[in-house]
Amino acid sequence: MEDMYHADRAMSTQQDIKIKADKVQVYYADNHAIKDVDVEIADKTVTAFIGPSGCGKSTFLRCLNRMNDTIDICRVEGDITIDGEDIYDPKVDPVQLRAKVGMVFQKPNPFPKSIYDNVAYGPKIHGLARNKAELDEIVEKSLRKAALWNEAKDRLTAPGTGLSGGQQQRLCIARAIATAPEVLLMDEPCSALDPIATAQVEELIDELRQSYSVVIVTHSMQQAARVSQKTAFFHLGNLVEYDDTDKIFTNPEDSRTESYISGRIG
Amino acid sequence: MQSLTLPFIAIAGLAVLGYFLAKSRALQVSEGDIRKLVSLPSQHALNAVLATIVPAVAAILLISLYVRLTDGTGSWFFQFVVIGLAVTGLALSLIGIKTETRARTFAERWILGLLIFASTIAILTTIGIVFSMLFETFNFFGQYDWRDFFFSTNWSPNFRGNSDLGIIPLLWGTLYISFIALAFAVPVGLFAAIYLSEYAGPRMRSVAKPAIEVLAGIPTIVYGLFALITVGPFLRDYFAAPMGFGQSASSVMTAGLVMGVMLIPFVSSLSDDIINAVPQAMRDGSLGLGATKSETIRQVVVPAALPGIVGAVLLAASRAIGETMIVVLGAGAAARLSLNPFEAMTTVTVKIVSQLTGDTDFASPETLVAFALGLTLFVITLGLNVLALYIVRKYREQYE
Amino acid sequence: MKTSLLAADARTKKRNAAEARFKAYGFAAIIVAMLALLILLTSVLGNGMSSFRQTYIALDVALPEEKLDKSGVRDLSVMSKVTTIGYAPILRNALLDALAAQGIETELSDKDIGNMISKEAAATVRNKVLANPDLVGQTVSFDVLASGRIDGYFKGRVTMESAALDGNTSPEALMIAQALADAGVIETKFNWNFFVWPDASDQRPEAAGLGVAILGSLYMMIVVLVLALPIGVASSIYLEEFAPKNRWTDLIEVNISNLAAVPSIVYGILGLAIFINFMEFNQSSPLVGGLVLTLMTLPTIIISTRAALKSVPPSIRDAALGVGASKMQSVFHHVLPLAAPGILTGTIIGLAQALGETAPLLLIGMVAFVREYPAAYTPDAGLFGEASTALPVQVFNWTQRSDPAFVERASGAIITLLVFLLIMNAVAIYLRRRFERRW
Repeated sequence: MEDMYHADRAMSTQQDIKIKADKVQVYYADNHAIKDVDVEIADKTVTAFIGPSGCGKSTFLRCLNRMNDTIDICRVEGDITIDGEDIYDPKVDPVQLRAKVGMVFQKPNPFPKSIYDNVAYGPKIHGLARNKAELDEIVEKSLRKAALWNEAKDRLTAPGTGLSGGQQQRLCIARAIATAPEVLLMDEPCSALDPIATAQVEELIDELRQSYSVVIVTHSMQQAARVSQKTAFFHLGNLVEYDDTDKIFTNPEDSRTESYISGRIG
Repeated sequence: MQSLTLPFIAIAGLAVLGYFLAKSRALQVSEGDIRKLVSLPSQHALNAVLATIVPAVAAILLISLYVRLTDGTGSWFFQFVVIGLAVTGLALSLIGIKTETRARTFAERWILGLLIFASTIAILTTIGIVFSMLFETFNFFGQYDWRDFFFSTNWSPNFRGNSDLGIIPLLWGTLYISFIALAFAVPVGLFAAIYLSEYAGPRMRSVAKPAIEVLAGIPTIVYGLFALITVGPFLRDYFAAPMGFGQSASSVMTAGLVMGVMLIPFVSSLSDDIINAVPQAMRDGSLGLGATKSETIRQVVVPAALPGIVGAVLLAASRAIGETMIVVLGAGAAARLSLNPFEAMTTVTVKIVSQLTGDTDFASPETLVAFALGLTLFVITLGLNVLALYIVRKYREQYE
Repeated sequence: MKTSLLAADARTKKRNAAEARFKAYGFAAIIVAMLALLILLTSVLGNGMSSFRQTYIALDVALPEEKLDKSGVRDLSVMSKVTTIGYAPILRNALLDALAAQGIETELSDKDIGNMISKEAAATVRNKVLANPDLVGQTVSFDVLASGRIDGYFKGRVTMESAALDGNTSPEALMIAQALADAGVIETKFNWNFFVWPDASDQRPEAAGLGVAILGSLYMMIVVLVLALPIGVASSIYLEEFAPKNRWTDLIEVNISNLAAVPSIVYGILGLAIFINFMEFNQSSPLVGGLVLTLMTLPTIIISTRAALKSVPPSIRDAALGVGASKMQSVFHHVLPLAAPGILTGTIIGLAQALGETAPLLLIGMVAFVREYPAAYTPDAGLFGEASTALPVQVFNWTQRSDPAFVERASGAIITLLVFLLIMNAVAIYLRRRFERRW
């Protein structure tokens, strides 16, 4: 009942709904990892998922582009729609879905290829460029958006693995942007980075909000407060509270949320 | 060799004697209170046993080597030295037993020495391999021009002398067969590894993996017989003869295909290790961008694993080149430079076997050539192995 | 460009088709591998299972004193002057009697009928008589070996058509054999002798057995086990636990991984040059074979032993050192026992490899035709010094014979070899399952 109330409030303050989850359950074999999660994620907004380790926030994030399909024992129930289309419909090809819902991972994972090839990989497999010139343009645009162009433009043929950690993560973001997604999922994108690189990536996330709906999982409450407009707090597989970020951090409704942000659980 | 029986029995007897003497002497010097001893009586006993055995046995090995090298005969002097050493070792260790003697340290030094010796056997083996072939190869090149050996395209040994012993037709057969084997085994092994690690469900895996492992455990003589009685006649009757390629059951194709089957598990298990070493994050990155599984494998996993796979292929090539029984039974004995894969050809290993079995005369070039062939084979495979192991090692370090 | 997720676009369809093709290639590869295994096993089993059965003729043989012991005093030294040539006609007469008793008429010559009995049979009967001279003068029932062709007829290898073209038998002989079989005189029984008898000459494949080969292989395995296990374990302990990290130990490591990949035939050359030509050990002896196989197996054992030692966590070593044990004691009292199952598994797998190895044994003369069971020790030849052969080499030997009956023998020998390997691997798997420890 309480959850419904918060969901109503969240809706009332928002514009377009991009992603809507309804009674989502996730099981790993017999383990019930996500319980009854309802959430609506707005377009052109940064939404943060926070919560203690193992609370299911990453699992839920991976449901949004069906990355959980790659794990044999994982089972998802309930409805998740993007632009009103059920992404778990048997007619949906996860490949097409993932082109639309990009993902950036916890640890920077550039392919052992050149910087250029890393960014061009997505456009190539999805056939987004008709010729080399268009591909060059996409690569440049993506690198610029990821704030990496100035550092990388002279070494596009150098291996992506040779960059620093922060640069690698921005390269991964550029790689994700290059496929022209509509939603960008980020799974603790800064956890492997030092503070300076983190600041750069956070700045970037704020800019990405102009064009995409961004969902970020983070274990850092400060980060959630800095970059997001909406915050969802997960605990033991439940979505405990979902509201404007300001509201969550200043005046949470649920006692568990309060305990977590004040550092008593986590 | 019967002259060794007595020394060995003597040494064993002295060792047993030493064990009990040392133990009782240790108890005696401790005056019944073993807490006075720095080392336990059993450690004194162990030290005595080792001091008796180790120098004496080492002497046996050294002296028998010396006797062989100088063509002398050992007999009495030899037995005297060996048994003398054993007695001396025993006596010294017994005299050394005092309350403050660190028998454990001494015993452990003997053991460490034995461990070090054991680990040098691997080195000695390599030296043995190289020298056993090097000497006879020199003898061979004393009787036969090395240029003819390496550059002549004719192989026709003749036990009355005047043989042509050119390695080129043998190398050609070896490489041709290895090429066919790899052309079969690499795609099949690689795809099998990819399918098993990326696609197969647990049930499929539980059947296919052991089946492929069984293939790996089958001795090569079995593959050889398979080539001889099944694959050879089949290829002749259904391919070579109808298509006008020849009438021979032994052929490059027969040996190559069967060797290919033998190499499947080798390639697939090595590739499996290598593919699994590619971090999952790499796969997730590609899948997260909307790549299909096969795109991920072809464009991310395989390129990332490429150095390792190349290393695996080189190791497989080295195996194919050194394989003997399959080619002995499947490839034929005629040295021939031909492109027709359904013709019988022969290999370096086949000729090593044929020149060294039956009546051999270690003064004739026809026998000695086998050592030159062996050395060539060893050098080629060693080169491939070193290169492959280097590449694989570098590859693993990259992901560790 | 807004596209619906619910409808796959053309490009996605194409990509999915490529995906399906790729997956099919992978599946095909698995099928090819499994099919290869299946065909191989079918071929070997199909050719070899019949070697475990053998055709015998039940004969009541009259052993006339005037032929076998003219003196009548049953003196063995005199009786043994009658060779197998003297016994052959006696057996032939027994078979002729049996034909007459069954009322089987034939136009075949007596000699051709005698050829239905294996040449080995005369030797068998002679040995029985010499072992028990009192049999002379009596009529004794023997199950004697039928010749290879008759045996082949009952196993489907020899047909009426092939017999018509064969100098060693004839369709008439096969018809007689069929009639005798219908009458219960000829019977096909389990061939226990296949595992016991030694090899036989080219003309009598029906008498060829694996006895010497199994014994020789067993001796070699003993040599390998006794030498390779302690040396392998000792050198692994040194390299894993004591060796300083320097150029020398690096060299040893590279060397060991290279030795594991050296072609087996090279070890044969090593054995020939070092053990036979230089050390002058006996050719064809299990001792030399065992030494060669030991050197070949060492790298395998060392690699698996080191893996087993490595899997024992450092905390165990620390615990032992912490109560004042020396480094050596911590290794021998704690690490080694914990690593023992892994070492044992690796050793069994190494032994299985050695058991199936053929090429190096050819070079050290184990292809020789050996009919004497080798003794484990003789004062002349020393320990395991008598000439012998080995299972895989026996297979090779039989493939070189012209009589097709030897193909059956070779396949049968391979089945025997595979059964031994299967048992060894099963034991290794059992040990691994039973004692595997997860830290």
